[in-house]
Amino acid sequence: MVDRLTVSPAPHISKAHSTRSIMLDVLIGLAPAMVMAVIYFRMRAVAVVAACVIACVATEWVCNVIRKRAQSIDDLSAVVTGVILAFSLPPSVPVWLAVLGGAFAIAIGKMVFGGLGSNTFNPAMAGRAFLTASFGMMMTTWTVPATIDPAMPAISPANTEAITQATPLGWSKDAIKGKADADVANRQLRSAATGQIGGCLGETSAIALIIGGVYLLIKRTITYHIPAAVLVSAAVFAGIGYLARPEAYISPVVHLMSGGMLLCAFFIATDPVTAPLPAKGMWIFGVGVGALVMLIRMVGEYPEGVMFAILLMNAATPLIDRFCKLVPTGGKANA
Amino acid sequence: MNGKASFAGGVHPQENKRFAEERPIETVAAGKQVAVLLGQHIGAICKPTVAKRDKVTAGQVVGRAEAFVSAPVHSPVDGVVKDIALQSHPVLGRATALIIETDAESAKVKEPCAARFKADFDASAWAPAQIRDAIQEAGIVGMGGAGFPTRVKLEPNPQMPKDVIIINGCECEPFITCDYRVMIEWTHQVLAGVQLAARAAECPNVKIAIEDNKPEAIRLMREAVRQCRDAENIKVVPVRTKYPQGGERQLIKAVWNKDVPVGGIPPMIGVVVLNVATCAAIAEAVVCGGPLTHRVVTVSGSSIDRPGNFYVPIGTAVEDLIEHCGGLNDKIARVILGGPMMGFAIADLSTPITKTGGAITLLTKEEITRAKYDRRETPCIRCGRCLQVCPAGINPTRIAHAVKHGMLDVAEKYHMNACIECGCCSYICPANIELTGYIKTGKILVARAKKRMPQ
Repeated sequence: MVDRLTVSPAPHISKAHSTRSIMLDVLIGLAPAMVMAVIYFRMRAVAVVAACVIACVATEWVCNVIRKRAQSIDDLSAVVTGVILAFSLPPSVPVWLAVLGGAFAIAIGKMVFGGLGSNTFNPAMAGRAFLTASFGMMMTTWTVPATIDPAMPAISPANTEAITQATPLGWSKDAIKGKADADVANRQLRSAATGQIGGCLGETSAIALIIGGVYLLIKRTITYHIPAAVLVSAAVFAGIGYLARPEAYISPVVHLMSGGMLLCAFFIATDPVTAPLPAKGMWIFGVGVGALVMLIRMVGEYPEGVMFAILLMNAATPLIDRFCKLVPTGGKANA
Repeated sequence: MNGKASFAGGVHPQENKRFAEERPIETVAAGKQVAVLLGQHIGAICKPTVAKRDKVTAGQVVGRAEAFVSAPVHSPVDGVVKDIALQSHPVLGRATALIIETDAESAKVKEPCAARFKADFDASAWAPAQIRDAIQEAGIVGMGGAGFPTRVKLEPNPQMPKDVIIINGCECEPFITCDYRVMIEWTHQVLAGVQLAARAAECPNVKIAIEDNKPEAIRLMREAVRQCRDAENIKVVPVRTKYPQGGERQLIKAVWNKDVPVGGIPPMIGVVVLNVATCAAIAEAVVCGGPLTHRVVTVSGSSIDRPGNFYVPIGTAVEDLIEHCGGLNDKIARVILGGPMMGFAIADLSTPITKTGGAITLLTKEEITRAKYDRRETPCIRCGRCLQVCPAGINPTRIAHAVKHGMLDVAEKYHMNACIECGCCSYICPANIELTGYIKTGKILVARAKKRMPQ
């Protein structure tokens, strides 16, 4: 009997969860948006998501083989990266582009840094940045959801296969330049909530993303700090613009509900690997993301700023971690 | 009855008290031999006061040190000193113990003396100094786990006046029920000890803190306090059920809303914390003159047929007690002295019970969880759960990684010394990283580097 006894340091019990179960929770949280994507974009959504996921998992597998390391694909983190990347791509992108983005995201965004836990940048956003830089046109062409007629006027040049449509953020940019009225975008609020509107695959339906985000908060897969900080800071900056010049700047509610804002707040900015550890750091990080998104949306050239905001704040994360010194209970902070 | 008072951080492991909580305290006779360790407390280790082949009687002092911070040890049985030898020690690895062969003819079973205590107990019959001397002579140390000599805690100190005595009846570790049984079965004895301790410390203000998952203990203790002579100064405080609510610093935060300074001790902020079992021992020592030779030990877990709470001689081998409970079954994977969160896993079942060891927890692979049993560590994903649960408010993952890579200066800068080793971070870690283990290792390495600990 004694020979089967084992010893180890205390504690001798642990909570029954794992990296895999956390990633699975994130996937469940992304499921409502996936359902809406399939409803609006039909087989395109399935094809793009499948291409990204397969590319991500296969790339991680290959990288592990090359590095002669134990396989890590069963932790599902590559699947999460694939889904988030696909959600942030326009529905009309060709499959090879999705595959390329997924491969870049995992190989350059994650594995060269040492794999899960060691990457500086959010892999999905790194992959998307690569695609945006390389294939700008394909990354800014918006398909009309299958459930509506193309009632909205097109502002992008007609794509060969897809009928294109303006997005609320596209209108917002035009309004800032004085080419359109901000009120047109404001009237798209209901469409932005349900997702029956042009935009990236998984980003259009605000309600689906909020349901997924609330699920993650209830399951305590994420804490409220980062989503709250992102949304509040974005709302404040958008609100300042809206109050100052309502004819040029669209309402903060539309800003929060459109583009990648909600996907960013609940699923991208909360990526634990690339966000700060202490609660204070999470606030700084979230406020930074929200402010940068709004800076790009309202002042910059691009209509959307989530990707750059995330990557910039990812780069700042080690500094934020260092800046936010923890004070132990009953102790003093170290200089 | 719900306790609101608590502290920041902490975890909620499965309580698993059901195995033993309804089992009344059962008196167990000494085995063929007992091994009385000479170091069962914080402070100077005792020197044997008897020699090999000497006859000893139950309650006789067999080891003592002259230092102020120390506590003598006593023989729990009549018998003969068979040997003075190294023996497996739950914390120190191996340490010197007196091996006493029990005299088979005069073997008498010591019964608890709880029946001698009534509701109207009068502590004023003893002078404070008299109580403190009796506590010292009885070898009483903190029985909750730390083993700090109780007399030293109670000694009045004009530089650090005591504002409150907090009695720790939390028992926040899963599985363990010995303090719960002591509170509900020996209620008046515990309360007598509380009043004696208050008198000895010259600090009448007492709070008895009990986790709100023990409503019966709260009810009985309140009832007893109402009847006692010192009812106006003693208050029963229900506290929230959360691990490590029974940690000294966490308990003080919950009950007294003060933080013990890092590296400091509770007397610095005018607080003394005593475990309920310690209070029962104080009452026995002062009133019955009985030294600390026996204690209640919980044997619990699904890998034993007859779990329960046992009043056993200190020095009894773990295997003797397990045998008394019907032996281990096939599911056993780990034997722990103490609870599953902070206890010490032992491979040598001849390890004796000490004054501080309130439980033997027997875990199966499933209770440990398979991933942890197989030591499947995955990379840290910086999820920050360890920071959220840490009651000390430090960054466990940063410290653990610093220790892992030999950067002890970084570990110290991140307040490694503030760690209370409660195990919450390792418990919550989804990657199964032994954070607490690394931090403990780091502390030992630093102590060795500063030559405060032998190699």
